[in-house]
Amino acid sequence: MRMTARTIWTLLIALAGLNSVQAQERTGRYYPLDHRKPLGEVARWNASIRPAVANYVQPVQVQLPSEGDVTFYQGSVNGAIVLPAPAQVGMQVGHAYRIKISNLPNHPGVELYPTIELLGRLHPPVELKEKYPVPVEITAEELETAINDQMVTKVIYLEQPQLANPTRQVNGRMHVESLGTQVNLLEAADMRGRPIAILRMGGRVPDAGSPEDQFYSTSPIILSGK
Amino acid sequence: MRFYFLALGTLVIVCVGCADGQQLVHKDEYHAPPAEMLAHPGPMVGGPGPGVMAMNFPPPGIQQAQYQCPPGGGGGFPGGDAGCGQQTTQLRFLGPEGMQIGWQIGQGFAEHQITAPGRYNFAQGATYRLKLSGIPGREGLTVYPTLHIYPIQSQTSAYLSHNALPLRVNDEDLDQIETNNFVTKVIYLPDAKYQELAIAGVEELVSTRLGPGLDPVAEADRRGTIMAVIRMGNMDYEMPGQSNALGKNGEKKAIDLVDGETGNFVPPQPIGDFHPTGGNIPGDMLMGGSRGPGQPPYNMIAGVNAPMYGYPSVGTPIGLQGPPHIPLGRPAGLKSHTVRNLTDVDIGEPVDHLLYDVRHEPGIRMPHPAKHVEYTETHPVYRPGETSVPAWAN
Repeated sequence: MRMTARTIWTLLIALAGLNSVQAQERTGRYYPLDHRKPLGEVARWNASIRPAVANYVQPVQVQLPSEGDVTFYQGSVNGAIVLPAPAQVGMQVGHAYRIKISNLPNHPGVELYPTIELLGRLHPPVELKEKYPVPVEITAEELETAINDQMVTKVIYLEQPQLANPTRQVNGRMHVESLGTQVNLLEAADMRGRPIAILRMGGRVPDAGSPEDQFYSTSPIILSGK
Repeated sequence: MRFYFLALGTLVIVCVGCADGQQLVHKDEYHAPPAEMLAHPGPMVGGPGPGVMAMNFPPPGIQQAQYQCPPGGGGGFPGGDAGCGQQTTQLRFLGPEGMQIGWQIGQGFAEHQITAPGRYNFAQGATYRLKLSGIPGREGLTVYPTLHIYPIQSQTSAYLSHNALPLRVNDEDLDQIETNNFVTKVIYLPDAKYQELAIAGVEELVSTRLGPGLDPVAEADRRGTIMAVIRMGNMDYEMPGQSNALGKNGEKKAIDLVDGETGNFVPPQPIGDFHPTGGNIPGDMLMGGSRGPGQPPYNMIAGVNAPMYGYPSVGTPIGLQGPPHIPLGRPAGLKSHTVRNLTDVDIGEPVDHLLYDVRHEPGIRMPHPAKHVEYTETHPVYRPGETSVPAWAN
């Protein structure tokens, strides 16, 4: 299985905003979409343009810095599925999902509600599909940032072998690259490989005492092994 | 000869002017369509219709509203489709800690609905009147600010669906209010080029911290996309004897009984919205005609099954509101109006024949298939008496 060679890397907006770096992140091609688009728009474009991948059930694994619970929703808070981290479910390409992270040992009482927008799929052998999910890793620094009501946006992409970063994964942790604010993360990910998913995380939580909009996702979740 | 040089000079000037002036389409430069158009499911084209890609999968989850509605649903962009989900903006009241937050509901106020720090989801595209009371260290002070929650925009959609807007009323704001000053706070999402930190976060502009003559709303609009504006002064909206606060005989109105401390919680009622004046866009002009065999003809009667006589504006085929009949107060006399779309558009012609050239680098090289095979078989030859005998026969 050559998937291990193709490690999946992530991009994170952080404190590097140099113009030289930004210039390096441009392909010279025109990208009408970027990571700042409304939730679900990029996935919808992908699914419309490439209908063959739409609705493909792609295993996705949510990883936390340590222990914790991951809750998946199917339309409302009543249809929640709670799994311990690392939690793996099947998500459909072209959809966006709201999840909840809770029971974090270093942040007692804190609940975060990130979203995962699935843009594409992986192509492992069929029998190894569940063994090689898309890893959505949330680091301790990203948790701190979201708890402080700031927004974290990560683009997870499948690395192109010819452009592979010759660094070794430490303890199985993915390599996270921080880029400047003016960089289009989708374009930068496209330079390095193929964008697979977008993770967005902030400090907004549902408020039971106020009128609620479509906060929870209605997209179908397929439990692993089914 | 003089005219020759004059003509030549004119030609050169014209050519230089064309080269330096505004060209119809700039080379090596692309411009995205408006965000509202990008959000259409076509992509970029509303459907169903020609050029719209068919939906062969159900609408994704959270963004279901964006499939059928513009981002933000019907409450987002003005003129959004009816029936779309209402979008909300979550406001997080950070402090001062212990401050009580209430809001106007009709003619009265619902008090003590939230205690800071606390949060609430306000419907977008509306203005609310808040009531801030019980401020620690400011006994007796009650502030009635207005809160404008701006409609969702493409730039703010992702942020607002993941973050709450922080709002803190600090001592400096309260000092300004008590000294008869007017405080305006604008919470906006800065554009990337104005964003100091690389991690996306909101910024706040306060009128009292800006130089004289600077409008915080205009300044915030220049730096990014506004999400909320709060304006605070020292006007008392519940003065004793005021008709809004008390009944005719001075008794307390029933509406004032809404108090969070007694377990009563009522959502705020907007005191204004952001929808454009004039309401909905009028439809296209209708004409009378026959209904069918045995049916009376369908005639348009002003005020009955057609717009009222003297309707002040007309619709256009592209959905925009037409010009008003001027002068107003007279019978409509406008007979035609023309709207010309002068936008430079260069999106290419439809492709009729598409050719793919694909190539492997390096190329593929394998042994060529055989086209000549020699096969030689040697048989043993035995003389008489040398015939082999199977072992079992011995």
